[in-house]
Amino acid sequence: MDEYKQFLKLMGDKVTQGIEKPRRLYFTVSNENLREVARHLFVTLGCRLSTASAQETYHGLEILYHFSHDASGCYYCPRVVLTDKKNPKVNSITEIAKGAIWIEREIFDMWGIEFIGHPRMEQLLTLNNPENPDKPLRFGRPV
Amino acid sequence: MTENKVPIGPFHPLLEEAEYFELKIEGETVVDIDMEIGWMHRGHEFISESKTFTQSIYLVERICGICSTSHPLACVHAIEDIDNIEIPLRARFIRTLIGELERVHSHLLWLGLAGHFIGYDTLWMWAWKYREPILEIFEAISGNRNHYGMMRVGGVARDVDPTIIPNLLKILDTVDRKMDMIAKAAHDDPVLKSRLKGVGVLPKEDAIAYCAVGPTARASGVAIDVRKDEPTDAYDLVNFNEIVLANGDVYDKLVVRVLEIIESNKIIRQCLEKLKTAAGPILNNVKEVTPGEGIGRYEAPRGEVFHYIRSDGSNRPVRHKVRAPSYVNIPTYTVSCKGIPVADALITLAAVDPCYCCTERALRVVDSLRKPCDLDLKKLSRAKTEQIRRESHAE
Repeated sequence: MDEYKQFLKLMGDKVTQGIEKPRRLYFTVSNENLREVARHLFVTLGCRLSTASAQETYHGLEILYHFSHDASGCYYCPRVVLTDKKNPKVNSITEIAKGAIWIEREIFDMWGIEFIGHPRMEQLLTLNNPENPDKPLRFGRPV
Repeated sequence: MTENKVPIGPFHPLLEEAEYFELKIEGETVVDIDMEIGWMHRGHEFISESKTFTQSIYLVERICGICSTSHPLACVHAIEDIDNIEIPLRARFIRTLIGELERVHSHLLWLGLAGHFIGYDTLWMWAWKYREPILEIFEAISGNRNHYGMMRVGGVARDVDPTIIPNLLKILDTVDRKMDMIAKAAHDDPVLKSRLKGVGVLPKEDAIAYCAVGPTARASGVAIDVRKDEPTDAYDLVNFNEIVLANGDVYDKLVVRVLEIIESNKIIRQCLEKLKTAAGPILNNVKEVTPGEGIGRYEAPRGEVFHYIRSDGSNRPVRHKVRAPSYVNIPTYTVSCKGIPVADALITLAAVDPCYCCTERALRVVDSLRKPCDLDLKKLSRAKTEQIRRESHAE
């Protein structure tokens, strides 16, 4: 798609490993460039943050953001990879999109990834759980 | 002025779902709101990773009783997105038919509850009375009034028997006439307008900032609808209008839903007419899912349902992310509840259709000292409607 090519060209070396599928663009972005890319998608292009999903791999933790460009029905999906599994930290995008407040809290809750600059970095789903499960979706979780 | 706190939930026999809201009030005015969720967390994403793709569809069907076809539909869209799987034409119409029937029954359910909360029990009885024929249509098509088990990767599980279509169209005629009546009643009733106009306003810029979806966003002037933005199934083959209003108050949220019922009935009618003639298979045989990632979404009655699935080539997902519409709509209370009288809190909380049915009872708390009293949000809400009704009659 022309919009994807234009976006990748504009972002230059801030984004890497762009994979294009019909109406989907997956690419990798560093933690340092995340806010700039998110601001461009949310403010300049008028995308909506659908959600973000985290996953643990053997190489590290990754967060995949899903920005929906509703005018064209396309998705822009920046991926941030964190190699420090013991103390994973990433910049919060809540100052750009307030819709990220609960999304980031849930990732913190389930995966233990801390979002720098989040207004209320505490658990979302297990806040009142008496057993206080610690990072229940990470490897080594109880089955 | 002393700041009081009104907690709503999390557990009460009259609450059908567990959510906790803490309203901070000064006098009669809500000045802030805090929300806590998590009592209903059942770990669907985690469970899905231990199920096959086909089993995951049944699993996500049970996330929500009302959206019991939206989640499976978004889930199969996500799996189909990995390999760009094509769907037979007849299956596309059946999927759209089921999805729109669900929208009608969900909106009617909400309409009835909204009427009940503000003391319009006639609206509640009407709405639920005419929801019943829709459930009968579901039963005729799928054998179930809920949890239809219709979605499969590559198509649908059951065909619609063409011989029952004339009867379904007759039922739809009745529902259509009654919906016109309810739409006119909503437009013409001065008490309803006085009660809901300007209540719980969500401005457009806040709807965008909080990434609101569905009728909540469309009532605030944000024209987003997955059915139009990324038409899947048969949505590019049927005619319907996207309902967008501008004020963002509870009244506009009600009108959006009523008008969407009428549009959904149009879609259902078109699908049934097409199913009379569109012959062919209903399922493409999908033998394997290749490694990759896919995004699936569907415009559920409450807004966009989002599913993300990653496959490693085995018969089960390695990651399955689910995001329901209420998840992004509930945080908009931070805006819509501020500055409203406490009597309007109940209907404002209900206006985004947040997957909880009854917020009946509250305890008043002064600072940290918890003292129960007889404050009842439903009574307050209904009393305000009664007051408006009396005043309008006095004039």
